[in-house]
Amino acid sequence: MNEQRRQILQMLAENKITADEAERLLSAVEREPADAPAGAGPRKAKARYLRVIVHSEEDPSGPSQVNVRVPLKLLRAGVRLTSLIPPVAITRANAELEKAGFPIDLSELKPQHLDDLVEALDELTVDVDDPRNKVQVFCE
Amino acid sequence: MIPQLVTVRYRLRDGRFRRWWIPVVPVVLLLSPLLLLAVVGGVIACLIFKISPLGALAGVGRVMWAMPGARFEIVEGRTAFLVSVR
Repeated sequence: MNEQRRQILQMLAENKITADEAERLLSAVEREPADAPAGAGPRKAKARYLRVIVHSEEDPSGPSQVNVRVPLKLLRAGVRLTSLIPPVAITRANAELEKAGFPIDLSELKPQHLDDLVEALDELTVDVDDPRNKVQVFCE
Repeated sequence: MIPQLVTVRYRLRDGRFRRWWIPVVPVVLLLSPLLLLAVVGGVIACLIFKISPLGALAGVGRVMWAMPGARFEIVEGRTAFLVSVR
């Protein structure tokens, strides 16, 4: 028997509360763990989409808006396609990247790394607030 | 689940919007002979570039399966364009 139930029964025994009140209190105590699990904060739903929202009023012809919603599943599927890039193309891409000042070896990029990257997007939030422009990147 | 419906919306010159609803499955069935040719072409390209045709097919399938829910909308001045996949 937990402490709260014991206290309620104690108050009932001492005639501090009526039987009806005790019953209501006991049912409230029983409901409590289901409503708010002890030690667990509100569980955040897993993000499913990457959203990019841009609102700009710099264009004299009228405001510009971009609203993009990309399923994270689509990003995962897309990055897995990189495993299909032929080795010759990877070698050439590496050479071009190095020429441009980015010495990255694309063959070292494994699908698992890209999966981790997409998983980490879950926590991503970018907010750019400017008097005439607003950019938001987040997952929902 | 594969995409069921693609919605395309754009603004006409007179400011009105035109919207197209494209049911994917009937359109794919209608274009299946061309699709078959495209698949054969894709397999040949895979063999030329030494890519596993099955891997490529699985990759394209995964992308197709992940498409529902995607939405792309752009409004700039008088231009407005929306593509939504459901």
